[in-house]
Parts: sequence; structure tokens; C-alpha cells
Amino acid sequence: MSCPQTESRIQEGIGNVVVKRDGRFVLQQVSGEYLLVPIGSQVMDTNGLVTLNDTGAFLWRLPLEELSVGELAAALAREFDVDISTASADVQTFLDEITGMGLM
Amino acid sequence: MPGLPATYGPLAAELQRLAAADRRPISAAFELTSRCNLACRMCYVRRPAACAEARSSELSTEQWLDLAQAALDNGMLFLLLTGGEPLLRPDFFEIYTPLTQMGLLLTLFTNGTLITERVADLLAGAPPSRTEITLYGASAEVYEAVTGVPGSYARCCAGIEALTARGVPLGLKTTLTRQNVGELGAMREMAHAWGLPLSAGWLLSKRRDGADSEVEKCRLSFAACRELEAANLAPVTELIEAGLLGADAPSAADVPSFHCYAGKASFVISSVGEMSPCIDLIKPAARPLEVGFAAAWQEVQDFVDAAPPLDPVCSSCDARAFCPRCPSWSARETGTLSEPVPYLCELAFARRDLYAGWDHV
Repeated sequence: MSCPQTESRIQEGIGNVVVKRDGRFVLQQVSGEYLLVPIGSQVMDTNGLVTLNDTGAFLWRLPLEELSVGELAAALAREFDVDISTASADVQTFLDEITGMGLM
Repeated sequence: MPGLPATYGPLAAELQRLAAADRRPISAAFELTSRCNLACRMCYVRRPAACAEARSSELSTEQWLDLAQAALDNGMLFLLLTGGEPLLRPDFFEIYTPLTQMGLLLTLFTNGTLITERVADLLAGAPPSRTEITLYGASAEVYEAVTGVPGSYARCCAGIEALTARGVPLGLKTTLTRQNVGELGAMREMAHAWGLPLSAGWLLSKRRDGADSEVEKCRLSFAACRELEAANLAPVTELIEAGLLGADAPSAADVPSFHCYAGKASFVISSVGEMSPCIDLIKPAARPLEVGFAAAWQEVQDFVDAAPPLDPVCSSCDARAFCPRCPSWSARETGTLSEPVPYLCELAFARRDLYAGWDHV
């Protein structure tokens, strides 16, 4: 799925996959695990790492602020071949969690 | 969420374990300079701040950034910036600022004496995940007896206060010598007053490059080491947690020469661009800027894998579980990767006598 509005830089090298999304975090894939790493001044607020599962990492790459829950759920349902109600619940849980952590 | 630990320390440890299993270089240290503005007699690396030869051989801004990108592409996540004193480099922030945008967990080791208000502002704008400042005493008299530089105590305190005032994540540590061990309690009180943790180390090694060193005049007596460890059981707890002590400790034959992640998940690049498994070793001196990062990393792994096994004196020693010797210690003290280190032998015997029966606790 393409996200033309997102300024993403994806590097697929020998090691990490690095995705820059909003200037506050970089999504890294290290040893098969997805990690959100705070960058710049964000280290003051989020000093550490945030782990994401596959669906979280997929959603993180999307322009979350610009898409509705329904649109995000539709994208998730297509990507992971799940029904729309399951996808909607997953999207809502993800948004609640990252909002609660101050990541959005 | 995936089956990873939820808290940072265990998470970082698990990521390192996974990386070591894959031989991915997840942790690195960039020794930006070997020069330092202090002149501690016990230092294993220091060259004078004004040393033109050392300065001219240091990697450039662009070379450090190229290495960082190459390491990132190969799996680096944790990066320590150290020295010498890294803030001595006039281009420090030209290197540091791009690193803060790469998605790395940065740590900065500094003596704190060059942290002016301006430097503190710049660090606070994009702080390392952790900064560690070494405190050499609780008074100007003792601190400067160790560092050899008048005025350095006040500048260090000012640096600490500049960072704490801005909320930059900070920890203190101290290197204990015969000159400052009497102020450990006072240093703890200072750290407490600043609201900062303080860790202490007192195992001092000879210089990494084999040059003359005054370290033996600085090392604590074994009685003093034993007294410190009796008051602070952390070293023994760490040995037990590492599985090296107690009923489940592995036999000598099962312990690899490098029993840490050096050369398996971590590497160091010296100020002149040579890659080694750990900061205390100068070999194999692989040249990533010449042969490429992956080839240099392979050379470091091969060096670690080819390290000789434990010396028979060590493998049959009944104090082995209490001994911190590793190939790096042997290299600095004996010039080999495996010979016993007499300084550590004495310490291990003292620990064995002190902690006999600890594995039954």
C-alpha cells in the first residue's frame, strides 16, 4: 500500500529497516522486531524504546492523522486478510495505546 | 505486542542477545578522540589535548557519519560516543546532531568539564538517551589531584548542574583510586543532592597501547577493594545473574574466551578508524573505511572466534568464578589474549575468601 502524503524514507539493507515518519520517531526493524526510537528533542519525553507488533508497524507507516478509523481498518484488513470488525478493533486499540503513550 | 520485555533494561538485554545470535552489530562505541583535557594518571587511553599528532590522525566529521550510516545499515541501534573527551572536538555537534536523527539510542561519556551553558543548550535540544559524567572527587583538592588540572572540579560541577537544570538524562560514575577513595561517601552525597545515580569502579588497567602508565600507583589495595565490595554486593550479584557463580556456573570448558557480546553483537571504532571488539582492545584493528563495514565486522568476529581458550592456570583455578579476567584484560596486562593477570588473581582470591558460601544464599 502506498502512502504518498507520508514523508517516509525506507532503507532495506542487510540489517535494519528504517522508516522516518513524523520527525519524532524512527521505526527500526532489528532482529525481526519492530522498534520506535525517539529522535531529536523527543528523547526528553520518550526516553527508551517502544516495541510494535506487525500490525502496529504496518499502521505506523500510514498517515494516521489523515485517515479515518474505517480507512485504517480497511487497509489493515486487506494487508492481513482479516475481517473488517477485527481490523477495526485492532486499529482502535492501537490508536488508543499510542495516544495514551503520547506518540500521536 | 511481541514477546519482548516491556521495560527498557531487559528489552535492551534481549535485543543484544538476539543480535549476538545473528551476529548483528547492534551496539557500538565511537571513540571520537583519544585526546583529553584532563590528565588522569590512571587513564588507559588518554593523549594530551594539544597533541597535534593525535589530532591529525583522527577521523573527519564525514568519516564518522559515513561509518554511522554503514553501521546503521548493518543493524546498529545503540551507539556510545566516547573518548578521550569527545567534546574536545570542535566539530562534535557536526557529528552528533545528524546522529540524533538516525534512530539510534545514543549514550555520551564525558568528563563534564567542557559542558558550558551553550553546550548544555545544544544537548538539551536533542539529548542522548543517557549521558554519563565521571566524577573524580568531592572536593577541588582531591578531584584535581586525580585529574592534574586546576579549575577542572568547578567546571565539572558546573557542567553537571547545567545538564540537570535542563533535564538532560544524566548519570554519574567515578573511578576510584588511592587518591580519591576517601571521598566516595562525599561523592555519593553530592550525587544524591543533584538527584543523580552514582556508580563506582575501581579496577584499573594498564594503558591499552602498551605505553608507560602510572596505574599501579593509583590502584587500590586488595584490602580496600575487598572492603568496597563487602559494602556493595553488586559485583557478586552481577556474577550470579550472569551465571558465572553458584551451583549453575558453567565449567571452564564451556565458557568462550570472549564471554560478553564483544565481536558478536558489539564493536568499537577508535579515533583513527580501527575496529575492534571492545574498547579495551586495539586488535584486530580492522579498517572499515578501507575494506567496507561488513568486511571489517567479519574480521572482528573472526578475531574473537579465534581467541585462545582459557589458560590452564585459569581453568583449574578455584577462584575463577570471582575473576573478571577476559581476553581484553590479558591483552592490556600481559600482551596475550589468555594469560592470567596477576592483579586480578589477587583480587579473585580476596573475593573467593570473602564470598565463600554465597552460592548457598
